[in-house]
Formats: sequence, C-alpha cells, structure tokens
Amino acid sequence: MNPLKFHIGIQEIATYIPQTCIDNLEQGKRFDVEESFILEKIGCRSLPRLSEGESVTSACASAYQRLLQKLPVDSQEIECIVVCTQTPDRGGIPHTSALVQAAIGASENCACFDIGLGCSGYVYSLQVVASFMQMHGMKKGLLFTCDPYSRILDADDKNTSLLFGDAATVTLLSDAPRFTSEFVRFSTRGSAADALTKQDGLMHMNGRAVFNFALTDVVKQVSEVIETSGVAKESIDLFLLHQGSRFMIENVIKKIGGIQDRSPVSLGETGNTVSSSLPILLEKVMGDSSINRLLMSGFGVGLSWATAIYSRNEESAA
Amino acid sequence: MSRKFETIVSEVLEANVNGLKMSGEKMQQTLTDLGVDSLDVMLVLMEIQEKTGVMIPEDQADILQTPAQIAEFLKAND
Repeated sequence: MNPLKFHIGIQEIATYIPQTCIDNLEQGKRFDVEESFILEKIGCRSLPRLSEGESVTSACASAYQRLLQKLPVDSQEIECIVVCTQTPDRGGIPHTSALVQAAIGASENCACFDIGLGCSGYVYSLQVVASFMQMHGMKKGLLFTCDPYSRILDADDKNTSLLFGDAATVTLLSDAPRFTSEFVRFSTRGSAADALTKQDGLMHMNGRAVFNFALTDVVKQVSEVIETSGVAKESIDLFLLHQGSRFMIENVIKKIGGIQDRSPVSLGETGNTVSSSLPILLEKVMGDSSINRLLMSGFGVGLSWATAIYSRNEESAA
Repeated sequence: MSRKFETIVSEVLEANVNGLKMSGEKMQQTLTDLGVDSLDVMLVLMEIQEKTGVMIPEDQADILQTPAQIAEFLKAND
C-alpha cells in the first residue's frame, strides 16, 4: 500500500503564533458561555489573531524567519515551496506560494503551488511535497501551513468564534530528514461537505456532524492504519491528533483506546489552527530522541481525513 | 420495551456526564437542568445511537429535551 520508500522527509519545523490574541474567557461572556465550558470543553483560553497589517504571506515569512533562527538555510537552495491554505491572500490569485517565494527571497528555479486543504492538510501536504521532491530529485523544500479562519468567522457564531486561532508553520523537507513516512492513508467524503463550509463568505460548522465524524471515521482510520501497516500500537511513541477542540480530542483518544499517555492535548493558547495544529505539536518533539515513531492524524473540512505513521531516521538519530 | 431504552439513556448519561446520577424523576427534567451541555449531548446521542442502532436525525436531536423524550423516540423508531 505504500510502495515508495521515502528518503525525503521532515528535517525541521518552525512556527509563528501571532502576538495579538483574543481572551476567550472574555469572548465567552459575550455569548453567555461559562468559563468551565471554554476551558474544559473547548479548551482554548486564548486565540491568536493575525493583525490587520498581516497576511498569510507575511505570517509564512515570519515562520520562515523562525526557521532560520534554528538552522542555517540558504533560500537560494530551496527548490520547492508549497502553501497549504484555504484562505489564500488576494483570493488565491496569484497562488500564495508565489508571494511567499518572493517574500523569503527564494530562487526563481523553485516550484511553487498551493494546496487547498483544511485540517487534514498537513498530513496530505507532507506526502505531496515529499513525493514531488523525491520524484524530481529535489533536496530542499518548504511546506507552509497558514489558515487564518478569523478572516471568515461569523462574529455572532459562538460555535466557531470560540474555537479557531490563527498561526503559520513552516516545515523544511530535505534529503537529510529526521522523520520519514512509513505508511499513510487518505479519505474523503464530499457528500458531507456541508458539515464545514463557507457560505456567503462566512464559515459554517455543523458541530454534531463533525463530532460524529471524528469519533467514528477518524477513530476507524487510525485503527486501520495501525493494523494494515503492521506496526504494533505499543511501538508508536506518540499520537498527534488534529487539535479540533479539547472535548473532541479527548473523546477520540478515549475511543482509540490505550494511547492516552501518548496523546498530547495542547490548544489552550492557540485554539484550533486548522492545518497548523499538527506541525505546532510536532515541532515540540523534533529534538526528543525518545520519540522514534509517531502517528499523525488530520481531519476536518471536506470532509477529509488522513493518517500517517512517521519514523525517526536512524542516521539523524546517530 | 420502553424500560430498556430508559435504562440505556440513563446509563449513557451517567457514563458521560461528570457527577450525574440518574433517577426516575430526573428522566423528566431537561438535559440543560441536568447539567448536560451541548457537547455532552453530541456524545450522549452518538453513544445511544451506537448502543441501540436507532438513528437520531439532526432535527430530532434539537427537539428531544429530556431523557424520557429520548427514550420515547428510541421506542417509537426501534
């Protein structure tokens, strides 16, 4: 099921969390929502927001600046730039990745394209970029995620206003990876597209439909990936699940069973950052040598869901 | 038969809502009064569907206000 042996993979990750934040407890008062519900069920005390002067491009460039603080990268050596977003700058014309290419001073000999996926976007995009780079003999590429849903939220809709936060991440994919993919599975149910969609310029979410989807289809896919890959559940050191809401993640973890001590729940200061939620989690464990194998699952808009198992590259661990 | 569904509804509520102990009297109270919030309702309805095999459509989920009403709906659609 996974015939391509990847030698291109994740070398480093950097994130940009905007300094401007909404106090979610204050926001909750406007909707007459109790603090305990916001903290224990939604799980977000604070929601970062891009400021008016910022854009997807500038947020991606800020993430790239943080990447440069971690390791030296010659922007002229970047051969591929991909931006995963559903809220592109200028309505998507031109593609935001072209704007990012200019913003970070990358060479013109650089393939740039956008991927229009939401919460499953990171898992999908990693595979697209790694495959694309590998098949074309590229050595260094950048995958950005940035989806400022704040730009399309209905301020009167508490279901979404209390949930989503803005952030940007950049993942350096290279031929000197620390993690490469072992196994992946992708799924889509376009017939349920209305569960999460933009109508008249604003985000609409059917919370119950999304919740049922997460607790049935995502749980099933995670279990199938483990079973089909032949990887023992016990040998997976970390389960990174899209941070949709605290209540949803905790119940997905409970339903998968036996992974609670290996499944971080961390959205208190970021909210649901769409395709950025997984790289934000992954960045924190990149240097943790006790993590040799991890599973990532992204799920949401589409409906779309994808689950992958990644393992630490032995050479990078040496 | 209705008793069976009442028992399932009670058990699922107790299993998923912190500190809730069900009783015959509480079956008639609204979910809101029982301290069941909107997210709890999603989880409870999903588990009830799984246990009974009876689908609870979106429009019905908004109408069913008490545990007794949920049990009655299950009985009528079993």
